[in-house]
Amino acid sequence: MKNFLLLMALFPLVAVSQFNPAPAPKQSKSILIMNAHAHLGNGESVENAVVAFEKGIITLVADARTVRLDLTKFDTVIQASGMHLYPGFIASNSTLGLHEIDAVRAFNDVAETGTFKPSVRSAIAYNTDSEIIPTVRSNGVLLGQITPRGGVISGMSSVMQFDAWNWEDALIREDDGIHLNWPQVYHRHYDKGKIAIEKVKSYDQQLTEIRLFFEEARAYAKSKMDVTEVRYEALRGIFQGLKTLYVHADDVKAISEALRFKREMQIKHMVIVGGYDSWMVAEDLKRDSVGVMLRRVHDLPMLTGDDIDMTFKLPYILYKSGVLFCLQNEGDMERMGTRNLPFFAGTAVAHGLPYEEAVKSLTLNAAKMLGVDKQLGSIEVGKDATLFLSKGDALDMQSNDVVHAFINGRALTLTDKHKALYERYKNK
Amino acid sequence: MRIIICFFLVCHHLWMSAQPTFPYNGVLPKDVNAYAFIHANIQADPSTLLTDATLVIEKGRVLAVGKDVSIPANAVVFDLQGAYIYPSFIELHSDYGMPKAPSARREWGRPQMESSRKGAFGWNDAIRPEQDAALIFSPSPELATEWRAMGFGAVLTHIQDGIVRGTSALVSLGEDRNESLLIPQVGAHYSFNKGSSTQDYPSSLMGSIALLRQTYYDADWYKKGGQKEEQNLSLQKMNEIQKYPAFFDVQDKWNLFRADKVGDEFGVRYIIRGTGMEYQRIEDVKKSNVSLIIPLQFPQAFDVSDPLLARWIEFSEMKHWEMAPSNPLLLSKAGIPFALTASGLEDKKDFLKNLRKSIERGWSKSEALAALTTVPASMIKTEQMLGQIKQGFIANFFISSEEIFSSNSIIYENWVSGKRFEVNAKEKKTLSAGSYRLNVGSDVFDIKLEQGERPKNTAILVQGDTLRFSVKVSEELNFLQLILTPDSASSRLGVLRFSGVKNTTDWTGQFVRRNGDVESAVFSIIKENKEEKKSDKKETTPETLGSIVYPFTAYGWEKRPEQRTVHFKNATVWTNEKEGIIDSAEVIISGGKIVAVGKNLNASAYKNVEIVDAKGKHLTAGIIDEHSHIALASVNEGSQASSAEVKEGSVVWPEDIDIYRQLSGGVVAAQLLHGSANPIGGQSALIKMRWGANADEMLISNADGFIKFALGENVKQSNWGDFNTTRFPQTRMGVEQVYYDHFIRALEYGEQLKNPKKLVRKDLELDALLEILNKKRFITCHSYVQSEINMLMHVGDSLGFRVNTFTHILEGYKIADQMKAHGAGGSSFSDWWAYKMEVKDAIPHNGALMARKGITVAFNSDDAEMARRLNQEAAKAVKYGGMSPEEALKFVTLNPAKLLHLDDRMGSIKVGKDADIVLWSGDPLSVYSKVEQTYVDGICYFDRQQDFQMRKWMEQERARLAQKMLQAKELGLPVIQPVYRAPKHFHCDTMDQSSVGQFYREK
Repeated sequence: MKNFLLLMALFPLVAVSQFNPAPAPKQSKSILIMNAHAHLGNGESVENAVVAFEKGIITLVADARTVRLDLTKFDTVIQASGMHLYPGFIASNSTLGLHEIDAVRAFNDVAETGTFKPSVRSAIAYNTDSEIIPTVRSNGVLLGQITPRGGVISGMSSVMQFDAWNWEDALIREDDGIHLNWPQVYHRHYDKGKIAIEKVKSYDQQLTEIRLFFEEARAYAKSKMDVTEVRYEALRGIFQGLKTLYVHADDVKAISEALRFKREMQIKHMVIVGGYDSWMVAEDLKRDSVGVMLRRVHDLPMLTGDDIDMTFKLPYILYKSGVLFCLQNEGDMERMGTRNLPFFAGTAVAHGLPYEEAVKSLTLNAAKMLGVDKQLGSIEVGKDATLFLSKGDALDMQSNDVVHAFINGRALTLTDKHKALYERYKNK
Repeated sequence: MRIIICFFLVCHHLWMSAQPTFPYNGVLPKDVNAYAFIHANIQADPSTLLTDATLVIEKGRVLAVGKDVSIPANAVVFDLQGAYIYPSFIELHSDYGMPKAPSARREWGRPQMESSRKGAFGWNDAIRPEQDAALIFSPSPELATEWRAMGFGAVLTHIQDGIVRGTSALVSLGEDRNESLLIPQVGAHYSFNKGSSTQDYPSSLMGSIALLRQTYYDADWYKKGGQKEEQNLSLQKMNEIQKYPAFFDVQDKWNLFRADKVGDEFGVRYIIRGTGMEYQRIEDVKKSNVSLIIPLQFPQAFDVSDPLLARWIEFSEMKHWEMAPSNPLLLSKAGIPFALTASGLEDKKDFLKNLRKSIERGWSKSEALAALTTVPASMIKTEQMLGQIKQGFIANFFISSEEIFSSNSIIYENWVSGKRFEVNAKEKKTLSAGSYRLNVGSDVFDIKLEQGERPKNTAILVQGDTLRFSVKVSEELNFLQLILTPDSASSRLGVLRFSGVKNTTDWTGQFVRRNGDVESAVFSIIKENKEEKKSDKKETTPETLGSIVYPFTAYGWEKRPEQRTVHFKNATVWTNEKEGIIDSAEVIISGGKIVAVGKNLNASAYKNVEIVDAKGKHLTAGIIDEHSHIALASVNEGSQASSAEVKEGSVVWPEDIDIYRQLSGGVVAAQLLHGSANPIGGQSALIKMRWGANADEMLISNADGFIKFALGENVKQSNWGDFNTTRFPQTRMGVEQVYYDHFIRALEYGEQLKNPKKLVRKDLELDALLEILNKKRFITCHSYVQSEINMLMHVGDSLGFRVNTFTHILEGYKIADQMKAHGAGGSSFSDWWAYKMEVKDAIPHNGALMARKGITVAFNSDDAEMARRLNQEAAKAVKYGGMSPEEALKFVTLNPAKLLHLDDRMGSIKVGKDADIVLWSGDPLSVYSKVEQTYVDGICYFDRQQDFQMRKWMEQERARLAQKMLQAKELGLPVIQPVYRAPKHFHCDTMDQSSVGQFYREK
């Protein structure tokens, strides 16, 4: 009861409204979370943990049985016995906030027109007022890499947090990388009633164009120019090792060629997005320190003869081979489906992935690939207090019940349109 | 050293005779002679080979055939020297001499509701019974040459355009229009392909089926008096063509059964032009009792040299490559009557090659001949004039060097109606390698000739010294030239020349010396090196072939699984009955039913009981997907506001891999729904996931009928682009009118039917609506927004029908009380929203809220991926809205069974119900649980262990076939690029490929 009252004090139930809740104010207090089963995101877990943070930074992570604490030193104490604590889940390669209602074109800010458009930035189109975002937070997904799509080079993504007034304060890492859609090695074409697979005739040419574009940009980056070539300028960070090149590719040949491209162009940071075939070149990926943002777990196998559980098993297969990977959700109904990311991890566990590795695939692994792991991705002292408490196991839909969520220590109001409508009609 | 001479010097135009009524420009030639072919091996009919026999023909007919045949005095005699004569082949499926059918082309995007033809024909441009091949037939010399080269003499030709294609004509492969036409109207032809019609309807296979059925009914009505109400030339013709044998061009393996069904309904036994894949369902073909026309279309091997590319090839494509040549053998083993067709071959030269391939597989030669001669002849009732070499028959035959099945066999000539057409000039070898002598006065040149491209021919003259020459030989018709060039030692003699004409055994002519002296000379044979005839009989070990799998695709069964008696012990059983969830309980299934549930059960009454220790595992009723579009060949017939006449049951596609994948997620049954493109959609198919069964066996027998309705953005075409603004309705207001209008029409139709004296046109569309009013068919309505849901319930209440189920029903939570009052159930998505404007208020708590108001709630998939984890979707009802796990599981088991009126036999674990059960590794609602076994009717269709073995087997089988394909490539056989048949995934508003509209993948 005391707990309950405490909660009430912390999070006054806002009047049920169809508006998104206001972003939480900056956290100035010290907060202690006691006795939760903490999944740290780095592959470890503490069954009975104490985790504290102050001014938004984690100050303590320990086994409750091994430390003695003076509770009076904390402004707020959350009794979380029986609950599970996780770092905020990260939606990599996401278009959340770039589109709202699929069928309505006016909402669509996902793909700019054009082919090579590295300077296009998703951050500024990210709509903090999207009604989808609060529904996603309600399941523990607190951060995302907001990614433009389309063309050969889609543009630049940014890492954003999901409780903000506008895109500026949502930014965690602005323009973290450039997204390159590797040309299709094979394409299917309709031929006498059948779909024939053949090497795309213009594949080599497309590759040459990409290579030339990068060569030009690299030459530009080395010299000091009076004029600014906006597109090449955008790629400068790639050659300086400050930005990541995200290569979207599923086919094994495309992935192999992308790795070659990395070596050839001396690109420091590369990540494969999609990677259905990535397990076939696991050793090469490790050699080149390239991680994989794995294609949707809840997807069908690509070929009829494939293992029926192929997509369910891929996380486990990559884990076994030691490739750095995280989960993501690109595909049909991806924005509204973002709230199901935790359950992708759950399904991966059913198919062999150890539980803490599954948590890692939504947290620290993603943070590493996004280059924000110093600050985010795990519950460790010194990192941002971006984490959430679920009454039960958050990877299982039966028990995922997020009751507290913090972004940089700020205590989120976890209402959303769906909860509001539920409340409104519950007693009709 | 071969020269080519004409075997016969007679040219066919010498025989050209004019037709009686035609004027002739010149001196009138007359057909006065007979032709006798002697010393021939004559295949008089498929089982009679007359050796060293004689054939006499006169005036285009066979006069006599046999061993002791007297040759008439007016006969021109040809000595065939042991060559073979066969009755010419008969082709039944061709468009020979027909103009090319125009391709369907019209302004992009705009709907076309009405016919664009001139003339008082029927309403739909795909129904063309008035097409008459004879009226537009015009011989094509080039094509005729191709056909004759394959051994054909007569072809049945029709306009291959439309669903009803009119009549065919039997023509011979001559070159004169009038002479070639043997019989002007022979067969009536049908297909499911609307061809060049640019009209929207039908836009799907099931629409084609419905249209054809309705046309038969309309024709009957027209005959019985309908013509008093309507002039309709198409229906008039439709009736007229019923007297001819009916041919159906199915173009798809499963269409064979679909066509056969239509035939059964109207008492028509179609002769079906098949696909060459009949062996894949041979038992079903046998049962359908059809006769067939089978193509010899064999796929080429795939180029599998790049393994990364080769993995894209469908398992079934690889297997078909291997099995295709065995199709005729397997059909004939099964006793299915069939003719062969050369149609469908890209290169007509492959026809005889492929025929021989099929013979190599063990098919009998006489049956092959029959399939090309007597069988097609009798299919078109011409067995008394064609297909044999018999007195009085049309003189259609061809002459080949050897038995036609021998790979060395060459067709020399093809005689069509007694007229000769040369196919391959006979290669006549005059000089073989050997020793020859040239006598010039007292000089004797000993000449040795060699074979080969650059023969070293030599000559020696002994004139005191031995003088040597090299020899060049050239032959032209019956003339021979030799040029003798001396080597350096004998160069004084100069270059010598001989030119001679052939006598019986030697050549006589002139010899020209260096100084121009001419002497007579004789060139004679001393000894010919007899060329060893290549033996045709290769000692080949019979080819090893893989097994046929059911269904013929990945994860097909080599041996279909059978019903089992299983005793599950120590399981946590979710009964879905008042017993609730029972721990460490037992279940016995036998004979396809659940026979015992409880504790300490005794299975001794059953034989062959398998015991499954399910300790730590959970047993539930199988999952039923209330809203699915898998296993279908078409989903939407959205071209009209109502398509109540179309049936998903007519287009079930049992080879969809998603059936197997969904079994792996515990799905045992589904409602396959029509799409949501129109307010009144088509009739549903209720299936069980009987992987390996045929389409009919998939259907749940004795199930109630269902039909899809739809509301909102899809039916008013809101998201179909700017062109689709014509079809009624375009607003929700119009949707209501569609319902009122159609149901009022159905009511009136029902009234008319009550009067037995009245001639009422049978209307398949109104029949379906009448069934709804008579509570024989039940509505599943695609719906989102509360206003329109209320509207439909009002329409139903006022006209006396109930909406059985609202599907999607994402705003159901807003009007659950009204739904309850109306008596509707709700089948929803767990958490989909925001994909269209009309789902902006969808919430995941919807299911729980509706359930709390007492509505029967199901969660469905409408998605091939989600369907294999509907247990997870059910678990979301626990998360959103707080359903108990037991009730949540019912969302995907018992409740959909109730909504589909199947709960008397499915949906719970109860004695007497179907043994459709799932064994889970743990709590079925847990994300961590997997299906271990899925049973349908007591047959285990999915077993995780077995799945693993199947995959291994499939890998081995692929590897074996890849090896075989690599060998084929090594042997220089043509190979083609890997082909991938993309799996189809339908959603509610996926439009068929055949429709002119765009593709949509929204829900």
